[in-house]
Amino acid sequence: MSRIGVFLCYCGSNIAGTVDVEAVAEMARTLPDVVYVETNKYTCSDPGQEGVKNAIIEKGIDRVVVGACSPRMHEPTWRKLLADTPVNPYMLEVANLREQCSWVHKDKEIATEKAKDLVKMAVAKVARLQPLHSIEIPVHKKALVIGGGIAGMQTALDIADAGFQVTIVERETSLGGKMVMLDKTFPTMDCSACICTPKMSEVGNHPNITVKSYSEVENVSGYIGNFEVTIREKAKYIDYNLCTGCGACETKCPQKVTNDFEQGMAQRTAIYKMFPQAVPSKPVIDAAHCRKLQEGKCGVCAKVCPTGAINYEDEDKLTTETYGAVVFATGYKLIDWKPLYPEYGGGKYEDVITGLQFERLVNASGPTEGHILRPSDGTEPKSVVIIKCVGSRDPNKGKAYCSRACCMYSAKHAHQYLDKVPDGRCYVFYMDVRTPGKGYDEFYMNTLQDGAQYLRGRVSKIYRENGKLICKGEDTLTSQQVTVAADMVVLETAMVPADGIDELAAKFTVGRDADSWLVEAHAKLRPVETNTAGIFLAGTAQGPKDIPDSVCQAGAAASKVIGLLNKDKLMSNPQISHVNETLCQGDGACVGICPYGAISIVEKQFRENSRKVVRPVAEVNPGLCQGCGACTVTCRAGAMDLLGYTNESIMREVDALCQW
Amino acid sequence: MTAQDIIRTRAKELLESGEVATFIGWEAGRFENQTTPLVITDAADADKLVFNEYCVNTLAKYVRDVIPRGKVGLVVRGCDSRGIIRLVADKVIKREDVYLIGVGCPGIKDRKTGEMLKKCAECRHNNPPEFDEMAGEVAEKPVAVERFAEVAEVEAMAQPDRSRYFESVYAKCIRCYACRDVCPCCTCRECFVDQRRENWVGKQNNVAENRFYGLTRVMHIGDRCIECGECERVCPMDLPLMKLNRKVIQDMNDLFGEFESSLSLEDTTEPLIEYRLDDVEEFM
Repeated sequence: MSRIGVFLCYCGSNIAGTVDVEAVAEMARTLPDVVYVETNKYTCSDPGQEGVKNAIIEKGIDRVVVGACSPRMHEPTWRKLLADTPVNPYMLEVANLREQCSWVHKDKEIATEKAKDLVKMAVAKVARLQPLHSIEIPVHKKALVIGGGIAGMQTALDIADAGFQVTIVERETSLGGKMVMLDKTFPTMDCSACICTPKMSEVGNHPNITVKSYSEVENVSGYIGNFEVTIREKAKYIDYNLCTGCGACETKCPQKVTNDFEQGMAQRTAIYKMFPQAVPSKPVIDAAHCRKLQEGKCGVCAKVCPTGAINYEDEDKLTTETYGAVVFATGYKLIDWKPLYPEYGGGKYEDVITGLQFERLVNASGPTEGHILRPSDGTEPKSVVIIKCVGSRDPNKGKAYCSRACCMYSAKHAHQYLDKVPDGRCYVFYMDVRTPGKGYDEFYMNTLQDGAQYLRGRVSKIYRENGKLICKGEDTLTSQQVTVAADMVVLETAMVPADGIDELAAKFTVGRDADSWLVEAHAKLRPVETNTAGIFLAGTAQGPKDIPDSVCQAGAAASKVIGLLNKDKLMSNPQISHVNETLCQGDGACVGICPYGAISIVEKQFRENSRKVVRPVAEVNPGLCQGCGACTVTCRAGAMDLLGYTNESIMREVDALCQW
Repeated sequence: MTAQDIIRTRAKELLESGEVATFIGWEAGRFENQTTPLVITDAADADKLVFNEYCVNTLAKYVRDVIPRGKVGLVVRGCDSRGIIRLVADKVIKREDVYLIGVGCPGIKDRKTGEMLKKCAECRHNNPPEFDEMAGEVAEKPVAVERFAEVAEVEAMAQPDRSRYFESVYAKCIRCYACRDVCPCCTCRECFVDQRRENWVGKQNNVAENRFYGLTRVMHIGDRCIECGECERVCPMDLPLMKLNRKVIQDMNDLFGEFESSLSLEDTTEPLIEYRLDDVEEFM
């Protein structure tokens, strides 16, 4: 016989406002095996928890049902509480009376009936639970940061400064990410490179940080504390031990290629450094465009290299290492607006540029040395139209979300343009101006005072006429059609996740939302953790952000990693799959479905019908298993059972619900 | 020599040499035009073996019960052979545990009417895809019939009629589990209907529980069904069980491409449990 205690929470008025908690308690008292029922205004508060503890001791309770908020919220709280009592922490069932009941219903009578059902189910389930025990797993004191932009660099520095080894994997040839492309940063107008490049060199020189540039994650296995990651370092065709970064090769290379760093507005050579301040400050050969590698003829760089560092035979290198924690700082890219907005020319007009192109145009190290000149003819534009929310807040064409940083950087662009072209005119088409940040609204007001003309409305069409870009739009504040003849148009396009994020996240089993942004474990309370233990998020990998927020989150992710790496051992989650070997016939359906590679088939000896038999059965690795339950639903024989959510306990829940 | 002669000779040789411990075939029944499955361990009994157009039972599943005695020899037609492939794929037996004497099957006749059985009229593979030796010639390929004709009939019904149709089907079911016991795909060590602790299916005999049994069974075997039609043949209540099986097969064809289960030991794909990154995800 079990002795079940039921603790029901009002959650202030959160639950009690819609659910008659006392009526639920009254019903709970009639349920089999329930020996004690208590209601509380805030069960999770200190006095509330003390009450639960006392009741457990006094009433000799051996199983606990808490009717309160979502288990996502406070199940760990209750587990911790039970650890201090004679009750096993897993002899617990949380009935979600808040998120799945009071918050989603209005009618108190109906909500109360549902709450009764939920409690009935929880009582039925808890009666079938078994005590579970954790095991210890070791922690590999090393972190992997994927992405070497500002978020990745900050995370790596913070972890490294705490004394742990960090590896940064950066798929481009240099650290820096998007931030190093920018000219100035709002609202203080610091030079972006001046604050970013010192970070890059700090990362490059840090004794605890290994930078793997031009590298990507190839394969992952393992689990929190023990991720075994294979990294592919793409062939650079240059021996970095010999190369001094003198740059002689770059000056002699005859092959010219479009320069992506300059957003296609300049050319680079086939052997190249992304930009002069790149870290590592050494070039790579772009194999797809190198004449020697493609046609076998040329070899100029090898001839001019004073140290003989060029190696045309270089190949991709695979290395495998074990990491205790992984941080995704994979960043963003700008949405490809061209196919989405044919009305803006769809890329037909050279002088319709993106914000990132504008950043390069206005940047002293950019293709125009900081002079704002039209890409088409190199003249200074005397009127510029800035269009915000291109691809953002536009569910029909682009993305439904707000890209968050554009309001501020479009104000910055307007300010920079008016600063550099004093006789120029600047028009900003906007939907809303959102400036919630320290010093942000002041910055926007300054831009207005600079003379930027803000027009509330979208531009519906851009076409060329007499050398001008005619922008037709509406000023919705005056309800008038507006036509602006501009020399240049800047589209402030939406942020979208970096290329390849789906495949990468799938390798690590990190969740993505509909737009492929990585999903945090809890929007409010666990914003840098993912649902896969040991994997954290920093920067725009999680969603659009500006630099201060990215850096902030990078620090937060680092502190979580440091907290994890500081431990010598972790306690495993005992709610994992369990094989009933009597039922298992070893057909291995579970092996293929397991996303963590946690199940294998082993030959075992059994005594069956007074005979020794050796037959194959499944075996679960308790360190790898995450308790997702995929195997339990795949196994036709029902041999796989998820401890804590056994088939039996769930069937009893269903029975409780279906009683009439 | 007829196929039957070869079977008798080879069974005798296999048992005498000790290569197999048991041999499974058919023997003549008590009545005319009737046979029953026969398991022999003594070479002297080999002459009891028959092979004719009334060998109605599929033999594969008997292997499971006699395998503890040692290697099993048996006669296989298309359906028996695919049943063996299935048992091997499901790790119930190992391929080296059986010695297969293949025969081409001309189709089996109904003992009462003398007409070809429904399962044989619908057969698509009468010659064994897997065997160790053939007894006699391969048979001519059966006349192709529309594989999903029955499914189309049901699908053509309006929704309430279809509901009523299945209700009437499962109202008749007596849950004797003959369909499960005969099925070469139903090889769980303990069937879900017998798992009393979980109690997946209630003990009551009513439409709801019967239908739940039927639907769970079809989902359990759907992607492995070898379409031998034995379940339908043995059903004492004449339930049209192949209709549901074929509906699942048809859906898999639509989703994952043309599919036929257990045609070779190399390809034993089970589409319903296989997981690949490039899977069709029409629900997402």
